[in-house]
Amino acid sequence: MLNFARRYGTLIGFVLILVLFSARLPDTFMTARNWLNITQQLSMLMVVAAGMTIVMVMGDFDLSVGSMASLSGIVAALLFTLGYPIWLALGLALLVGLAGGLFNGVLVALTGILPFVATLATLTMFSGAAFVVSGGKTISGRAIPEAFGNFARDGVALGPVTLPNLTILAAVVVLVVFVLLEQTTFGRRLYAIGGNIEAAHLSGVKVRRLKLIAYALTGFAAALGGLMYASRVASANPTQGSGLMLNAIAAVFLGMTMSEQGEPRILATVIGVLIIGVLDNGLTQMSVDSYVRQILVGAIIVLAVAASSISKSSRR
Amino acid sequence: MLATSLRTLRRGAFIATALAAGSFAGAALAAKVAVITPYLAQPGTQFYVEAFQAVAKDKGWEVNVIDTQGDVAGVISRIEDMVNQKVDAIVINVDPAQVTAGLQAAKDANIPVFGMDAGSDPLLVTNVTSNGYAMAAETSTYVADRIGGKGNVVMFVFDAFPPVQARGVVASAVFGNFPDIKILDKVTPDVSDGGIADSRAKMEAILAANPTAGSISAVWAGWDQPALGALQAIEAAGRQNEGIVITGIDANPQARAEIAKGGNFEASVAQDFKGIGSATADAVARVLGGETLKQHVIYVPTKLVTAANAAQ
Repeated sequence: MLNFARRYGTLIGFVLILVLFSARLPDTFMTARNWLNITQQLSMLMVVAAGMTIVMVMGDFDLSVGSMASLSGIVAALLFTLGYPIWLALGLALLVGLAGGLFNGVLVALTGILPFVATLATLTMFSGAAFVVSGGKTISGRAIPEAFGNFARDGVALGPVTLPNLTILAAVVVLVVFVLLEQTTFGRRLYAIGGNIEAAHLSGVKVRRLKLIAYALTGFAAALGGLMYASRVASANPTQGSGLMLNAIAAVFLGMTMSEQGEPRILATVIGVLIIGVLDNGLTQMSVDSYVRQILVGAIIVLAVAASSISKSSRR
Repeated sequence: MLATSLRTLRRGAFIATALAAGSFAGAALAAKVAVITPYLAQPGTQFYVEAFQAVAKDKGWEVNVIDTQGDVAGVISRIEDMVNQKVDAIVINVDPAQVTAGLQAAKDANIPVFGMDAGSDPLLVTNVTSNGYAMAAETSTYVADRIGGKGNVVMFVFDAFPPVQARGVVASAVFGNFPDIKILDKVTPDVSDGGIADSRAKMEAILAANPTAGSISAVWAGWDQPALGALQAIEAAGRQNEGIVITGIDANPQARAEIAKGGNFEASVAQDFKGIGSATADAVARVLGGETLKQHVIYVPTKLVTAANAAQ
């Protein structure tokens, strides 16, 4: 019984939230239109959280994803103002993400700094770099190519509904991360590191190299999330991604409460992101104070994790 | 446990519905208005919102104030949610160019969106803000009056920032209308460190180039920081008793403190944040009443701040 509550508590909570909102907002919540809105609204968080899942599988963290998201947006916008073609500007911004992630990997895997400390340092560095590159200003208006801003507003028409581009992009990222973590040797080795790093090392897993790659991928996803954000607001600001980091970690944590051994799973992360996004969407529509959502997300994490640790201690 | 808390939540929601139903009996058609901003924590924004809510309360509107805490994409998301809820009007306090996706969604649903000191945009019904032209006219005519329409004036301008550029244009026109006022220099300070330090350095150079008393009658600044820098330069040069008149714009706390001392820094202009909030509510009321607004920008009067009222 307790084990059931531990494993499915979060999922049941999520279903209850859906039932509550459906009952309170009968005409507007469970509509295709609203769900397309929701998937679009949380697409950036979904991409960053998917990237975060990769390092958290190894039991690590990346606190720098939010400032990397800001930095990549700023880099792309600056290159736009210098007249670079869109594809090149975006490509270079993604490379910045890859390089920044790799730098995190070097600090953690090669230098041996604790992930918390290393990525806290790079959080500050990336954020500072975003301010230096932009001169602290918001880059918007004519500097941003219309096609870039239109991307986030457009979608692929599927019969009566239009699937937003941002939603499709987020789904593709989730799919790629799913294949990577669940279907490849690379993924299984990351889980091995997360399970027992010494054992993984002794059994021949190249821990350092895998950590480098994992951090680089997380940085890349953060940069992609930042570019999606920049496209949605058709502008770039040196702090605009900062809210993504805590929400991404919260989403992965929410997901972790649903897996067998408490390890992160990408599909569970998706549920975690949905909980955050749906609470935002539903509570706004119910005119509930936006600060209450933060309290609820925190409370759900505490409840879910508490259920998990209580069931563990009762087994002893 | 989660289920229990959700049950409590749902019960609370039922009670809320019952209460809402009761209040609906009084006002059969309470208009629903959403105010969405990423900047609620900033003092100016709080003044707008409080004044807006005061008017809304009189009108019996249901106002939902949403703070996205600095998240601009969050403003788009919340506009989408409010459009989905079919509110009667939306008020934003954010650069409209950054939330075009949300504004378009509102337009498609025929929901009017108002700017509360947001910036002009074709997708907004109107934007309520302070009149930068009038603010510059207030201080430049103050200067012209204080120096008796005669003397050399140093101007601090910043043409790269459109709102300040407009102020410079108006002040130049006012001074140009006085045949005996001469623009000694138009200075664009480097603002990367806030503007005070470089303005001071530029003013020191101008003071050195014009050493005789009375060779500079006034300093007109497009905003407060250069005025504060010029004041420091004049005081450091020991020329504070030559009667050089300094004016700024914005009336920030530091400027108010200097003006209250009764020294060279004599005047600035304060925006009426509460007035912007209540004027926005009035604009919403007019549109909800079926009126079509002709003005795409509604200007709220500003107030000249001198030693007489700087402490207020």
